[in-house]
Amino acid sequence: MQTREEIRGFLEVCFSVGAGENMIEITDLTKRYGGKTAVDHVNLTIEDGAFFSLLGPNGAGKTTLIGLLSTLLLPDSGEIRIDGEHVSRENTAVKRKLSVMSQEYSLRNDFMVSDILEQHGRLYGMPRAKRKEKAEELLAFCGLLDARKKTARQLSGGMKRKLMLCRALMTEPEYLILDEPTVGLDPVSRRQIWSTLYRLNEQGMTILLTTHYIEEAQILSHRVALLDSGRLCTVETPEALIAGLGSFAVDVFQNGEIATRHFAEKDTALAFAAETAGKTTLRETNLEDVFIAFAGKGIADGHSDGALGKMDRIS
Amino acid sequence: MGIRTALWEKWIEFRDAWLRITLSAVISPLLYLIAFGYGLGGHTGADGHPYIAFLIPGVIALSSMNTGYSAVATPLNVQRLYEHSFEQILISPTPLWQYILGETFGGALRGLYVAVLVLLLSLPFGVEMHVSVLFFAVIFLNGATFAALGVLAAIMAKTHADVARFSTFVITPMTFLCNTFFSLEKLPAALKTAIGCLPLSCASSILRAVSYGEMWKLSEFLILLCYLGAFLAGTYVYTIKKKSL
Repeated sequence: MQTREEIRGFLEVCFSVGAGENMIEITDLTKRYGGKTAVDHVNLTIEDGAFFSLLGPNGAGKTTLIGLLSTLLLPDSGEIRIDGEHVSRENTAVKRKLSVMSQEYSLRNDFMVSDILEQHGRLYGMPRAKRKEKAEELLAFCGLLDARKKTARQLSGGMKRKLMLCRALMTEPEYLILDEPTVGLDPVSRRQIWSTLYRLNEQGMTILLTTHYIEEAQILSHRVALLDSGRLCTVETPEALIAGLGSFAVDVFQNGEIATRHFAEKDTALAFAAETAGKTTLRETNLEDVFIAFAGKGIADGHSDGALGKMDRIS
Repeated sequence: MGIRTALWEKWIEFRDAWLRITLSAVISPLLYLIAFGYGLGGHTGADGHPYIAFLIPGVIALSSMNTGYSAVATPLNVQRLYEHSFEQILISPTPLWQYILGETFGGALRGLYVAVLVLLLSLPFGVEMHVSVLFFAVIFLNGATFAALGVLAAIMAKTHADVARFSTFVITPMTFLCNTFFSLEKLPAALKTAIGCLPLSCASSILRAVSYGEMWKLSEFLILLCYLGAFLAGTYVYTIKKKSL
């Protein structure tokens, strides 16, 4: 694994992304599949340079929202603007600014690793010399240089993920959209990708991430949106979401089940733990607690309109 | 940008599997030439020419149709529904019309390649044929028309089986009806007109006329062009407007 200095040096050479006054604006966006509303009147603004995470239970509408951003899907109503320009399949100027790494593997199995990057560079109109140079750099950085003559079919799941990230970074996008980018990666590779994303964001690249690794969102994100049943329930910083639930958590192990209570004050949490029968553990609340409380309410209630207001919190 | 990229992709596909592509593309035409040419051809004639002379241009048109269609329809459908790699084309700034046109030209070139091989395979039959630039241009146009149809089929298909079904209902009937193995002259007038307007019938008719050294019909060439334009336009509009690709 590279040191942080090596990562910084690599990124300074490869990604000179300048900060500007641009943003992604989503207005009243709705997408339906038959009778099911996958994205329900979503309004959202993602500022330039932000690291923004979308969280929500399975089927919440995260991947659909990313499909709409990338123009794979077209909305039933509402619109998306990037830097003030309407996003559509025909707007090539906007599409040039975006790179998308999808949740599913999206590689041509019969193409060699080097061909996949070459194809991507061609699709974005990169000059020949730049394509070669960039592909070599990225493959070396992700440890795939020796695999460049292998076909995608011959790669492991983790190598495919890395290749997809290389491909997304080939074109030096202003907006990087990642749908579950670290699924299937070992912890070392996952951390390596976190470091890369963190540095890219520090250099000004706007990143939109969906993930089920809540730790990932907590470490990297400036703001987090909680999505459920297609509705945007809240948008906040991870710290504010945690504070909203209570900064201290007590896990209670009773009758073969684990229940968690959240407290704003440590003393209150300690007192609760002391007077509770069974095994208890005091710890700091994390974003995963927020997600579990949110998702649990959402599943229990059918949908979680204002779920955060209903979470189990003791002040 | 998009046309060259799509052509490059087709080249990569060919580079990595040229032997398999070549053998699978020429086996059917070779069997047609042996079975219908040697087997049946010795006993009959058509349009006032030996049957083998009638058959060869038809088989060439048929080969360019099949190759142009299958060079695009199956890979593109796999990329869209199984590999999901077609998403990257849609997301990219490459204009879709350019990519569609590139795929079409790629399929047409594959069709032309196989047609030339079939032409070479037919040499041992000793048939005198007039081969001109127009002959190859019509092969290319025919391949392009069916490659464009292949793009449309691949984009519209909801499952892999849909592409096979499309082939069963569209490509196979044309194989046997459209002026390849028998002359349309003996068909009832209405059927003759209807089948005569299909793209493979037009391509076979022009190729046959050119190979005989006779006059060919401009109307048939224009019909082929219209089909090509309609398939390309249909594909483009569908990909731009369809809400979930």
